[in-house]
Amino acid sequence: MRRSFWGPLTLTAMAAFAIASSGGAQQAAPATNSDIDRAAMSALEKMGYYLRTLKVFRVQTRTTRDEVLPNGQKIQREGKADLLVRRPDGLRAHVESDLQDRMYFYDGKSFTLYGRRVGYYATTSAPATLGELVDVLEEKYDIDVPLADLFLWGTDKAAMSQIKDAVDVGPSEIDSTTCEQYAFRQDGLDWQVWLQQGANPLPRKLVLTTTDDEARPEYSVTLTWDLAPAYNDAAFTFDPPSDAKKIVFAGDKTGSGR
Amino acid sequence: MITKKSPRELIAAALVSLLVAAPLAAGPRGGGGARTSVNRGGGVNRNENVNRNTNINRNTNVNVNRDVNVNVHGGYGYGYGGCCYHPVATAAAVTAAAVVTTAVVGSIVAAASMPAGCVTTVVGGVAYQQCGSTWYQPQYAGTTVNYVVVAHP
Repeated sequence: MRRSFWGPLTLTAMAAFAIASSGGAQQAAPATNSDIDRAAMSALEKMGYYLRTLKVFRVQTRTTRDEVLPNGQKIQREGKADLLVRRPDGLRAHVESDLQDRMYFYDGKSFTLYGRRVGYYATTSAPATLGELVDVLEEKYDIDVPLADLFLWGTDKAAMSQIKDAVDVGPSEIDSTTCEQYAFRQDGLDWQVWLQQGANPLPRKLVLTTTDDEARPEYSVTLTWDLAPAYNDAAFTFDPPSDAKKIVFAGDKTGSGR
Repeated sequence: MITKKSPRELIAAALVSLLVAAPLAAGPRGGGGARTSVNRGGGVNRNENVNRNTNINRNTNVNVNRDVNVNVHGGYGYGYGGCCYHPVATAAAVTAAAVVTTAVVGSIVAAASMPAGCVTTVVGGVAYQQCGSTWYQPQYAGTTVNYVVVAHP
């Protein structure tokens, strides 16, 4: 602030700028390349490449997710998930929250959603790869694949170009593992990732802050990795318990149900 | 028998009613939740996906109610428990009675609003709920179970 030097001229300019920008967002300056730390972007890319190299892995998570009541009040929900992944065509996931218990089975041919507590399952044919499955489930069935980012980073489906701000925050310890913390900004979303330091840049924690909601709800997940899980291929195929009842996916019905 | 709802269920019920009342037009504010993916739900489809997240909320809520109403048979439905509070006894009565129910074929009923006293029946390999004279087909809409009123399968 060198306001003494330029005096009235600067004040006038500042006032004009203030008027010009007052109708818009508070953060006036558009993102420029200088807001993007190339090293942070590079770390993200390396994480993506590294994730691509993992053929089989198990990851267990603890999550919290804010829901926003219509009055703006946030309610935080606890959850956890346990995923077994076999690239490119195997997923078994058990996702539990306070209120819902669901299992996902994908074996490269079919996809099954099973609710243990409700006792219902539905099965449908599925595409050949996990990346495609993420798309189909979202677009046709309105189902989010848990931790879908793990299947998208390092592919052309990763939204790298949406990042407008990238910062290397510094070292941070997650579950006794030294990580490097990075922070990114996109339209409507601020997010942070903690990448394990060293040769295996695994994401160990993620925090997503939804910024286009006034309440700025957060989603936080910590990840515990097992890169050599014991499993067999049958794990990816649903074998219905005797008391499970088959139902349909709304997304498979044509015309009816709406 | 369910005689008292926990605060969680009450919040869930509140979310259900509010989200059902104003599900899609709400825009980015209110009744939503945090995004859960960096690479999905941004950009062009952002608003759509935010709304989808609200559905996820509704879904999670519904399951509590669903466990109350469906798994714990014999509880009283606290939705519009019209048709089947007392079991309409026989299958023979079903077709005739269907005419007088208020349930319209094709309408979708949240699990929280399902009547009590339903019986699970498997027809053609898939499950239905028969609640007195009305038949419902359960389905996964997203990861939520809801019920579509159908003709006698």
